[in-house]
Amino acid sequence: MKGAWRLAARNLRRNRRRNLAVGLAITIGFAGLSLMGGYFARVDIFLRTCAVYLQHGGHLRIYHKDGFDRALAKPARFSLTQAQQDAIRQAAAEDPRVALTAGYLRGMGLAGNGCRSVPFLALGIDPQDERQLRNHPDVLRYCGDLALPLRGRPLYQAADVEGGIGLASGLSALLGKTRVHDDFPRPPPVAALPDCNRPGMAALFAADASVQLAGAAFDGSVTALDAEVVQIFHTPSIETEDLELHAGLAMLQRFYDTDSVSYMALYLRDERDAPEVGRQLRARIESRGIPAAVYEFTEEKVNPYYVGTMTFIRSMAGFIILIVSAVVVLGVMNTTTITVYERSRELGTLRALGYRKSQVVGLMLREVFLIGLSGILSGLVLAQAVAWIVQAANLRVKPPGVPGTMQIVIPPNLVFSFWVGALMLSLSLAVAWLVVGRRLRERTSELLIAINA
Amino acid sequence: MVRNWFIGKIGLAALLLLGSPQARAQAVTAEALLQESDRARGGVAGGITWNATVEAEEEGQKTSRSFLVKARENDALVEALAPPRHKGEIMLFNDRIIWFIKPGLRRPVSISPRQRLSGDAANGDIASTNYARDYQGTIAGEESVNGEETYLLELKARGKNVTYDRIRYWISKKKHLGVKAEFLTVSGTVFKTAAFEYGSVLRSPAGDFPFVSVMTIRDATGSGAVTRILFETPRAEKHPVTMFNINNVVR
Repeated sequence: MKGAWRLAARNLRRNRRRNLAVGLAITIGFAGLSLMGGYFARVDIFLRTCAVYLQHGGHLRIYHKDGFDRALAKPARFSLTQAQQDAIRQAAAEDPRVALTAGYLRGMGLAGNGCRSVPFLALGIDPQDERQLRNHPDVLRYCGDLALPLRGRPLYQAADVEGGIGLASGLSALLGKTRVHDDFPRPPPVAALPDCNRPGMAALFAADASVQLAGAAFDGSVTALDAEVVQIFHTPSIETEDLELHAGLAMLQRFYDTDSVSYMALYLRDERDAPEVGRQLRARIESRGIPAAVYEFTEEKVNPYYVGTMTFIRSMAGFIILIVSAVVVLGVMNTTTITVYERSRELGTLRALGYRKSQVVGLMLREVFLIGLSGILSGLVLAQAVAWIVQAANLRVKPPGVPGTMQIVIPPNLVFSFWVGALMLSLSLAVAWLVVGRRLRERTSELLIAINA
Repeated sequence: MVRNWFIGKIGLAALLLLGSPQARAQAVTAEALLQESDRARGGVAGGITWNATVEAEEEGQKTSRSFLVKARENDALVEALAPPRHKGEIMLFNDRIIWFIKPGLRRPVSISPRQRLSGDAANGDIASTNYARDYQGTIAGEESVNGEETYLLELKARGKNVTYDRIRYWISKKKHLGVKAEFLTVSGTVFKTAAFEYGSVLRSPAGDFPFVSVMTIRDATGSGAVTRILFETPRAEKHPVTMFNINNVVR
């Protein structure tokens, strides 16, 4: 059927207003879905980057067997010893897909300002690992705001400060430590015993950056250490804002009197390799006789917030796609039905001239395809324009469960947009095929004398 | 006829109730029992000093730590003696606040009485016991513990800053000494138990009375860990109030 596409294009001009309305519905629906896909993809990568790099979870996490649940309560038994760490590092080094292997120590205790003590949850990080992670391209691109300290300098730049620690902003507020080491060019003398009942204590607490840490060492004995606040930071989760404390791994190991770590995290060059690398690593660790458990970053147990949020978002996205697609399909069905009934005589004439049913159906489907494709392409342009405007306006939102704000960036996700476009087009064609096919089941003579709607 | 029968039944019930162990136990108040039992665990009005050794055994590992404890009413000064690396560390109990002081530490840091001292012993276990002040007690019944008749007391913490939320405490009827305790979480789960021995005698101007010599703490969560606190050479000593002032201790 030569010239069918040209004929279909020409036919579209006959009902311009109606076809324009359908095209617009597709344009707006597709642009909306495309932007939604962009926003959800952005949330996904933001939360994933936070969980993997900023929360130091890694793509794969290795604990002593049962260590995930019990290392905090019984650290001496459920932490990874120096020998086990060495063996795990060796096993990880055999895989070129592993970019970095880092050890972390988690511990609890009380941080005091001389008058009151508040509980903390500490994370000991090797400063060089921290430097590498904070400067990872994904962190700089997607979590740049959260990666920067609110005040002070990163721990990896504070090697000159004895006992340097970072406090989450909530914890620093609870302790009244609102200023950091760098705010005092000449370190002030630390009042050994402030009069805790004196009014205006907040000013006294903020008069230095000194904090005392107390806790239980690995052997169960009470331990204490002087620390100096070098940075105040936001944690990637609001739940840990009043608790989190970061310190150098060596310093925290000294505090808890151990050379063990709570877990080791592996950072991969490509996150999609996590299942395969994890499987092979499990086998290698097992062959070395280490009682360990390996978790992937997509497991809810280790990243409940990321996995839970994304499961919810995916369900919501599916529901919205269903609703929007239904609206578009109903619009196409309505338009096609009216068009087919209006053009019944034309269809009958084509049949009488010897056109096969499939050829007539093909002509109508071409028309629907052209409307759909124009709508999708216009939708993509519209989505890009809206995304550009939103980005230029620097709109910020406070994501649930995350302290601070993040800029709304909704660049349409091309893969997602392609599949949504394909779905909408396929459904439109399917509906058109049903409507036209049904009408063409009638006799040609009846089509020829049909009264136009 | 019916009225007489009814009065008779009530009279019989009253007689049975008054004669029950619970009714008899009410005659002895929970507070008085706690005050008497506290005296044998360091809760004495004058000054007192003893040495405490905490021996812990957990998963095949044995540890031992020694302390010198000086107590006066609601205050106590606990000084670590051994092992050598802990020597010089001090815990100062000011009423319900505990300060931890370590040589070289810029400021004292307040710690919790619930924090583990060693093994299953909490910081609050080693100093003088003042259950009468810290807990609201009620006599819940009478039981025999290792052949000894006891009152069973249910203790609930009066405030947050105490060592345990809830305690079941068995006090000997005859000696008015605590012989057994179960320590419970807020939800009522027993997480450790303790048994007390009174092999020492504290000689004081007020007279001689038995003093706790061993507190054996067992983990109730299935780990099998056992911690023994040995209270040795208790002696009545007058301690000045200034001894328990944080400013003086830090200097």
